[in-house]
Amino acid sequence: MNTPTLWIILPLLLSGIFLFLLNRQRILKWTGTIISLTLAGLAAVLPINQLFNFLFWELRVSEEMLIYGRRFVLSDPDRPIVILVFVLCAFWFLILDPKNDPIQVIPLGLAGTVLILTAYAVEPIFYGALFFAFLALIDVVLLSPPGNKPTRGVMRFLIFQILGILFILFAAWLASWIDLNTGDQLLFVRSLVILALGFSFLLAIFPFTSWIPMVTEMNHPFLAGYVLSTYLVGVFLFGLRFVTEAGWFDQNISIQGALQIAGIIMLCYGGGLAIVSKHLGRMMAAVVISDIGRSLLAISLFLSGFPLFFSLVIIQSIAIGVWSLSLSHLRKVVRSLSFDDVIGAARQWPIISLGILAGYFTLAGLPLLAGFPIFWVLGSSLRMYPSWMVLWFVFGSIGLIIGGLRTLAVLTKNSGEEAVLILGSSFYRAVIVTITAVLILLGLFPQVLFSLTQIITNLLLEL
Amino acid sequence: MSSLLQYLAVVVLFLCPVGILLVDNWRWMIGLLGLQYIGVLSLVSVSWPLEIAVVKLVAGWMAAAILILTYVNLPTAAAEPQISINLPRRFFKGFTAFLIGLSVYSLQAVALRWFLGATTQQALGGLLLLGLGLLQLGLSREVIRIVIGLLTVISGFEVLYATLEASVLMTGLLAILNIGIAFVGAYLLLASYLEDTS
Repeated sequence: MNTPTLWIILPLLLSGIFLFLLNRQRILKWTGTIISLTLAGLAAVLPINQLFNFLFWELRVSEEMLIYGRRFVLSDPDRPIVILVFVLCAFWFLILDPKNDPIQVIPLGLAGTVLILTAYAVEPIFYGALFFAFLALIDVVLLSPPGNKPTRGVMRFLIFQILGILFILFAAWLASWIDLNTGDQLLFVRSLVILALGFSFLLAIFPFTSWIPMVTEMNHPFLAGYVLSTYLVGVFLFGLRFVTEAGWFDQNISIQGALQIAGIIMLCYGGGLAIVSKHLGRMMAAVVISDIGRSLLAISLFLSGFPLFFSLVIIQSIAIGVWSLSLSHLRKVVRSLSFDDVIGAARQWPIISLGILAGYFTLAGLPLLAGFPIFWVLGSSLRMYPSWMVLWFVFGSIGLIIGGLRTLAVLTKNSGEEAVLILGSSFYRAVIVTITAVLILLGLFPQVLFSLTQIITNLLLEL
Repeated sequence: MSSLLQYLAVVVLFLCPVGILLVDNWRWMIGLLGLQYIGVLSLVSVSWPLEIAVVKLVAGWMAAAILILTYVNLPTAAAEPQISINLPRRFFKGFTAFLIGLSVYSLQAVALRWFLGATTQQALGGLLLLGLGLLQLGLSREVIRIVIGLLTVISGFEVLYATLEASVLMTGLLAILNIGIAFVGAYLLLASYLEDTS
């Protein structure tokens, strides 16, 4: 037995079996959630590379698997990543409402999680890019449920991901020549530029951002939220592994400036989009784009920024989760999610609107919500860099807050309908209220989150 | 493989994507895609043993077969859309393709400095596929054209990458990627006609 079999092959087989159970929606939802949590739990407690007793047997779980001469390794320091991706997977499965959202999320989502781990585990790491191509294919199928035509955003997503992967593979090959031609600066710069281009496609960094607003506007909100959240987290984890394995943080190689400029551009783009958008789906795009920018800024701080990055990942997933859940409920009772059609929604469906506003304002960084302490620390850390960066950081954040206030104004505007209506089952309303409470509590006690993410960083980097 | 045959493969790799760009009939498009993979095989076999290079052909033909089977199963009206002969559009596409061909030809010396170990024909063939595939992606909205555009771009990449890397796992994964894109294309073509049974 080895860890890749346990956390990659086994869930992949289960996701295949789940495809035959699409008619048993409730069973599938809870089985998927429990299996994901079990796999996360095993990652927390299972001894790796050590003998241990299980019932009548003495077992040893090794950390690697060989396929065609390539190693797939999930070792002790990778535990936090395995736990993180399976817990996030379980979270999305838990909040999925089979009555509103396509149940295909369970099998395809589990397979997608496995592909993220595979990309993370493979050595040499650049092979991982290909697994993101497979993940993109799965996400394209997920975003185009039966009965619907594929949207332009989905097609553009597919094109950009495939192109990004090809760039990364080529850059990795060029980088391998650097070892042979030590000191060849031209070769080095070439490989770095191509790699940056590849990750720009994958992470939808400006100017390759257009598919995000298209997907969030035209596709099912739950599916859009799920795909954006998990895919981008996966790419970020892969990117982190890529740069840490290449030793770019240790050597005197400056990718910090590029990361910060890209981060600021994304944050401001998101802020600008939030100011001008008139559609709740596009508002989701605005916060997702800004969050990509903030994650880039956090990573640019290297060791001190890693805990911030993991805090962002956790908060972003929770906030986008409650936002998507609420939007997919609201979508059932309004014509569209454009501002004109959701006027006064908060007066009729207060709990659903609470979820929308809590999710949005958390990601916008409103004080007392969970996003604020992270953004505060991130902004403070940028003081050491040129002041224009801090100024644009503030501009982007203000743009998001303005967008949130516009959303609040639209949702609470008097539309003449005063009756409070019940939308969604009591379980999902309870989920929305609970997640909102968690977002407020994490805003009041951010040290809980920071200490957790510091532990993740220490384990991951073996500090 | 003789230099002349390699040049013949380059000609095939120029004419097939241009043909795909210009024709509207799905049979012609997929047929030309299948033919294109023979050119890919020819150029990949310069760097790899034929028995491994043939994986590219098999994967490509499987992808083409998946697309053919999908069209056969599509409702007739969707599979046979009204074709209007639009000469200016075709001229524009043809002229752009010609410009791409010209650019690639003039850039071959630079390309050879990037793709160390590639022959002139491989660099030409690979870059032509990349350029014409990107043109297809840039000018199209239909699922079938986007899928074929992606397969063309990947083919170009495979021709160039074959001169750099000969890993079995990478070959296998790229073959699965080709077939996977064709399957997803097939699903997307059929998606709007499917019923959500769950």
